[in-house]
Amino acid sequence: MKLAIRWPRTLASRLSLIFLIGLILAQALSFGAQYYERYESAKNTMLGNLETDVSTSIAILDRLPAEERVSWLKQLDRRNYRYLLNEGSPGTSMRDTPMAMTSIKDAIGKDYPMTVTDIPGPQKHFQVHLKLADGSPVTIDVRPSMVPLSPWLPIVLLGQLALMILCTWLAVKIAIRPLTRLAQAVDNLDPNTHAVLLDENGPTEVAHAAIAFNSMQARIAAYLKERMQLLAAISHDLQTPITRMKLRAEFMDDSSEKDKLWNDLGEMEHLVREGVAYARSVHGATEESRRTDLDSFLDSLVFDYQDMGKDVQLSGKSGAVIDTRPHALRRVLVNLTDNALKFAGAAELWVETKNGNLSVKVMDRGPGIAEKELAHVMEPFYRVENSRNRSTGGTGLGLAIAQQLALAIGGSLTLSQREGGGLCAELKLPLRPVSQ
Amino acid sequence: MEHVDHILIVDDDREIRELVGNYLKKNGLRTTVVADGRQMRSFLESTPVDLIVLDIMMPGDDGLLLCRELRAGKHKATPVLMLTARNDETDRIIGLEMGADDYLVKPFAARELLARINAVLRRTRMLPPNLVVTESGRLLAFGRWRLDTSARHLLDEDGTMVALSGAEYRLLRVFLDHPQRVLNRDQLLNLTQGRDADLFDRSIDLLVSRLRQRLLDDAREPAYIKTVRSEGYVFSLPVEVLGAPS
Repeated sequence: MKLAIRWPRTLASRLSLIFLIGLILAQALSFGAQYYERYESAKNTMLGNLETDVSTSIAILDRLPAEERVSWLKQLDRRNYRYLLNEGSPGTSMRDTPMAMTSIKDAIGKDYPMTVTDIPGPQKHFQVHLKLADGSPVTIDVRPSMVPLSPWLPIVLLGQLALMILCTWLAVKIAIRPLTRLAQAVDNLDPNTHAVLLDENGPTEVAHAAIAFNSMQARIAAYLKERMQLLAAISHDLQTPITRMKLRAEFMDDSSEKDKLWNDLGEMEHLVREGVAYARSVHGATEESRRTDLDSFLDSLVFDYQDMGKDVQLSGKSGAVIDTRPHALRRVLVNLTDNALKFAGAAELWVETKNGNLSVKVMDRGPGIAEKELAHVMEPFYRVENSRNRSTGGTGLGLAIAQQLALAIGGSLTLSQREGGGLCAELKLPLRPVSQ
Repeated sequence: MEHVDHILIVDDDREIRELVGNYLKKNGLRTTVVADGRQMRSFLESTPVDLIVLDIMMPGDDGLLLCRELRAGKHKATPVLMLTARNDETDRIIGLEMGADDYLVKPFAARELLARINAVLRRTRMLPPNLVVTESGRLLAFGRWRLDTSARHLLDEDGTMVALSGAEYRLLRVFLDHPQRVLNRDQLLNLTQGRDADLFDRSIDLLVSRLRQRLLDDAREPAYIKTVRSEGYVFSLPVEVLGAPS
């Protein structure tokens, strides 16, 4: 069976709904019971009063001389009924006997024969016709109605409703808040940075969840650290055998086999170095940041490439002095530039300041990276799926290292397709001095 | 009899030290290989050497400690070339601060080691004697600048880092090591080539003008590096050696 009404999405609204409906129903029930009780007792009192009052009034009218009766009518009038000294209005016969009628019959029925007619109308209205001892007609005109409710009652009820809504909101909020905080903490969970611990105080269940979350966070960090240490250890220990092999290879006679071995060793060496570098970049930088003149920094980087005969050009000027970790920044830019050189043979660096941010772009006119792969290329050991790349023997770590280090120096690295073909890697850095 | 350079190789890995030793021997050098600091000390007691190749990662006394020890003792003039397993700037800087003349990252090619050894030997022999003895890991102060010789960058009065390219650093270092001496282009080329001899193809004049720019020196009225017509260049300011950078 399907619920016709849509169940609200959030836990807060569901809880609120349950609480509110429950409270309102309970309130309505108790109000209804009280109202019914009040109605019953009021009715009994009223009917009792009616009996004595009607018999007294009729007795008075009966004993009064006919000409004086009219002047007494005023005093005999009551809120719900009054006396008329005539035949009354014609009406239909009553189908059911109202309670007031029974009371009237009980009071005077045995002395005065009477007939009852119902006067049609929107409100209940009936008349009792009888004849006094002298034969003159008297009609009791009855308009039964309850005593109206006090005007302040709805206000009190509204106040109660408001109180219920307030309490529900408060209770739900208190119940939901730890959950929201936990969700936020999980959202912000980044095992690579310093762990943000949840407050372990509060109600028992909340404290328990917080402790569990904190220890989970610590475990994740420990696993990651272990993984990185493993990577670093393996990479490091491979350096000695590779060194030996390279040295041995140099004693070999020149041949194509030697060249191939040499190339293989070169690739291994590269992978090992990148592995160590990646493990370190994730592990957090130990380097201290210092005030750095960015333009001379970029100049020197580009000149180093040019001195090695590489086609690397720099355009734009920032005029900025920033607080940064120079080796980490250099590594980011070197990795991006090496990438550009590898795939395009040339790299263009472009620096500018905009909106309080520094932007250093490393662009090339190489084959670029397909849009759907852009998001993945910064994952460690990911390689773009094309044969061209495999043959160039990348480690799949260069961009991952660059991204990790960019984060470590408070920046961000984004890749995009360059207009007109090629790849554009943009490193954004905060221009304000990073307080550290 | 012609002098044959004697190289002492200190590495805990037997294969590596023997392979290196054999390669260097094959290329006309005299070599001795030892496994640790203890053997190195006892060998140096009896035989002076021309250069020491020192591995950093060794059980017992590591290479950094041994290097500092060498620099403090009677072998302080012996050039040291460090082998490090970590391609890490901090290791390099610490190595240079401990007084190493050059460093090489493992895994390395034997022919590169040979080239570095020859470069270091040439540097320590062929140069005119330094007027100012500049040890590695010191700050050199001149004009409004200070040069951090281990991290290889300039610092201005505010302590802001001004980076230098490799070639710029080497040229500036040559000038600072020989202040107020006229150096001709051949000398400068020789000294700045350092270890990247085959890679370096910029003319000295271009490099000097780049360095002037970096020092904010006016090319028409240079305050730091003056041109000496038909002779070469001279670094015209006195250079002061400060303590190690904090």
